[in-house]
Amino acid sequence: MIKKTADRIFKWYCNPDYYPDIKGDLEEIYQDKIVAFPKTAQLKYLVEVLRLCRPALIRPIFKNSLFNSTGMFKNYFKISVRNLVKQKVFSAINIVGLAIGLAAFLLINQYVAFEKSYDKFFSDSDRLYRLTTDQVLDGVIGTRDAMSFAPSGPALVEAVPEITHSTLTYQFNELVLRKNEQSIREKKAIAADSNYFDLFDYKVTSGDPQTMLNEPFSMVLTESRAYDYFGNQNPVGQTIKVLSGFDKSFKVTGVIQDVPENTHYKFDVLVSINSFQKDVDEDGWNSFNYYTYLKLDSHADIEKVRKKLPPMSEFDEETNLEFNLQAVEDIHLYSDYTYEPETHGSANTVIFLNIISILIIIIAWVNYINLSTAKAIDRAREVGVRKAIGAHKLQLVSQFLFESFMLNMLAAVCAILLAQLLYPSFNQLVGKDVIDGIWGNKLFLSKIFGFAALGAIVSGLYPAFVLSNFRTVVVLKGKFRSSAKGTILRKGLVIVQFTVSLTLLVATFVINQQVKYMQSVDKGIDMDYVVGFRRPMFTNENREGLKEKLKQFKQSLSNHHAIENVGFADALPGGEGSDISSTTGEVQIPGKTNIMEGTTYMQWCDEGYFAAAGIRLLAGRNFDSKISTDTSAIIVNESFLKRLGVQDINSVINENIQYGDDEEGHKYRLIGVMKDYNRTSLKSKVEPTATFYHTYASNSVIRLNKSNYREGITHLEKTFEGYFPNTPLSYSFLDERFSALFQEDRQFGQVIATFSALAVIVASLGLFGLSAFMAINRAKEVGIRKVLGASIPQILIIFYREFVLLIGLSSLIGIPLVYYGMDGWLNNYAYRVDFPWVFVVIALLVVAASALLTVGYQTIRVAVKNPSQTLRYE
Amino acid sequence: MKKYQLGEFEEIVLLTVGVLHGNAYGVAIKEEIEKRLERKVSVGALQSALRRMENKGFLESEVGETTAKRGGKPKRYFKMTSYGRAALEYNRDIRAELWNAIPDVALEAKFV
Repeated sequence: MIKKTADRIFKWYCNPDYYPDIKGDLEEIYQDKIVAFPKTAQLKYLVEVLRLCRPALIRPIFKNSLFNSTGMFKNYFKISVRNLVKQKVFSAINIVGLAIGLAAFLLINQYVAFEKSYDKFFSDSDRLYRLTTDQVLDGVIGTRDAMSFAPSGPALVEAVPEITHSTLTYQFNELVLRKNEQSIREKKAIAADSNYFDLFDYKVTSGDPQTMLNEPFSMVLTESRAYDYFGNQNPVGQTIKVLSGFDKSFKVTGVIQDVPENTHYKFDVLVSINSFQKDVDEDGWNSFNYYTYLKLDSHADIEKVRKKLPPMSEFDEETNLEFNLQAVEDIHLYSDYTYEPETHGSANTVIFLNIISILIIIIAWVNYINLSTAKAIDRAREVGVRKAIGAHKLQLVSQFLFESFMLNMLAAVCAILLAQLLYPSFNQLVGKDVIDGIWGNKLFLSKIFGFAALGAIVSGLYPAFVLSNFRTVVVLKGKFRSSAKGTILRKGLVIVQFTVSLTLLVATFVINQQVKYMQSVDKGIDMDYVVGFRRPMFTNENREGLKEKLKQFKQSLSNHHAIENVGFADALPGGEGSDISSTTGEVQIPGKTNIMEGTTYMQWCDEGYFAAAGIRLLAGRNFDSKISTDTSAIIVNESFLKRLGVQDINSVINENIQYGDDEEGHKYRLIGVMKDYNRTSLKSKVEPTATFYHTYASNSVIRLNKSNYREGITHLEKTFEGYFPNTPLSYSFLDERFSALFQEDRQFGQVIATFSALAVIVASLGLFGLSAFMAINRAKEVGIRKVLGASIPQILIIFYREFVLLIGLSSLIGIPLVYYGMDGWLNNYAYRVDFPWVFVVIALLVVAASALLTVGYQTIRVAVKNPSQTLRYE
Repeated sequence: MKKYQLGEFEEIVLLTVGVLHGNAYGVAIKEEIEKRLERKVSVGALQSALRRMENKGFLESEVGETTAKRGGKPKRYFKMTSYGRAALEYNRDIRAELWNAIPDVALEAKFV
């Protein structure tokens, strides 16, 4: 047994030339041993075999067999290395270009994969759906909302057999927790019912996933939160006090893994939703503030399930809303619903980046094709000699493919180093921890080498065929000239590169212009030195006391000399799209306008808010706390009236606005009209908004005196701490809030700018190399022209003519392309810049200048040479 | 400056091939060395020395007869070449010269 294995090993590594007689010796010795030591003979044999494994005796790694074509690879390898070393500029340009291309391509690829991985880590992610609510007006879908009514989940589980599970969740704006005399703001807090973990199977590290959300006032923490609060203690069974709205101690019943970044519904703290069952019941079929998730059974066909959804009128007769289902996996990239739990990604960005990354790598491949066909003349003699000795065409093709393979592999190694060096900056650039290291990332590494191999074939195949097609006799006679066909292809590829550079430059300019525009556009409010912050929340017990305190607090702020105005409002300017309440109910001014359907937004504020936030009233008057009927007064914005079809805003002042079709229903007296202002990102138009009177809405806005606003801030901090010691104060300037809204666009702009720059750099590298070869190839022509009296500028013009033509052709292709693409992108924005033609001109100038500089440099290098040098060999 | 590259073990193997004149194949050389020098020799060390010296030209070899004991595999007989012989002589002469150059005093001193 041992001997057999030993034999096999020996045969495997032994040089076949030596094998028979050494094997014979071994056998002979074994036969002697087996008589002397019958037991250990086999083991001794194995030891002997292992000791035979020596460099002098093992099978050669490169076989130098005449009949075996693999032997030639040794030679190819040698020649490739020599060529790489000899043509340093050529090799450097190609390797650098390919490395940049590969690294950029794969970093972006990784980002795209990350964006696409959202919510796919749940074990039944393809069966998870979110119940959404569509507003249907006359059979046309209007606003689509990500939220749904609280009782709808169980109702649908009952009505549709394919729906097996449902869970009801609620997202808090924030929760203020109190532990050890310290208040902590939890920004990512949600509530859910006990089914939650049946759908979203996060790993539960302690606690029972079936029951941990059963009891009211239960709390589940993520591992890192549990550590923050309890250190190494076992958190289960401990309590944490929840202030905002509850003022109750919650019992920690479970700990789960940290919620990963690639889910659309993140949280650090999860409480049982029956902790506020009363509110949930009250909301009922009246208002939809909840996220409901459903799980289908494994054979369900989503289209059939959609058809089976009962109409919502079964539950609420007078409704214009309908149920719909949205695949959880699609939410992050494809959802365009209102009231998303977080600002999500965009499929467009992902596609855009994908395109750029492909363009970069194509540019790098084009460089290789261009340069290696351009310098084909250098290799022509070698090909001729090889053919004369008897090389097959296929052998030559494989030789040149092998060369391109080597170059690409070298580039891949550089790309890995580059990626390792740059991935932290890349993570920062895209604003997410997309990559956490290169070395351990097998997928990444295999992708790099996979693409390098692909690149070797894509970019190596054409040059390989060109080179191996040379006719022996022509080449060896020295009559070889580069073919017209090759030149046309090269020109075509240069046009591709110019077009890509031009398009990317224009796209970069346009995006950054749009971002700048959005930040600078007049939002309709005067928000310099205006600060917003959240006040402590009401609970049933503290309501009266807190109101009194707020009154004093407001007074104390207003009295300070550095604070100009103090006001309260529900939704602060510069917030997310989902910060504000809305209604889909009918609105009309009875007798004056038709019934308006569609979403209108609702804001509550006091009389101080307009002045504090710098909102102008165009007609009518502000709220007044002394007029008791103002509790049913309403101030609307211009867009609201426009939607109602009112032309003259003054004509409707003091009319009644009716919500709902019930004439007894809610009527509000219109006392004022405010100027439109942008509350949120400029992707959306100004929302038609009605403002109701409320003395202490949940946020406060204060306007500070420009000259001594710092004192005002200090005063605010001190006063807040004095009145509400249990609530941490977190304030923000309104302009900063707006600026944060554009963060995503700014980031997008930066990412595009970075990678466009890389693409342009790689392209110019290629052009640099190409023009060098062209100039050298035409050195004799230049020499003759000089002898005949041409000046250097004249020679330059001859060289330039060609490139100007190429740039002209690329702009003919590129400009319509970029106009079509970018104008479409700009149309995503309600407020957009006109297509900036001036940037097209600038981009064209940049491309032309860089091309002409490169070509000019190479040309002049040749042109200044003495003709006697260039013509000496003729 | 080394004229011949001949290591200590190689020299022994080469000499043994000479001793076994005409009958020098793997096992025989191994047994001869083990008998005369009273030291263990592994097949690996021996074979790699043989092949190395064959490459250097100190030895030449030819395929011999097969026996049943060898599992039907042929023997390979090694023969010293004249170049190998020259290398051995060179080594021996160098040693002899060195011996002669040692002053008698040094040798005698050893016995004191």
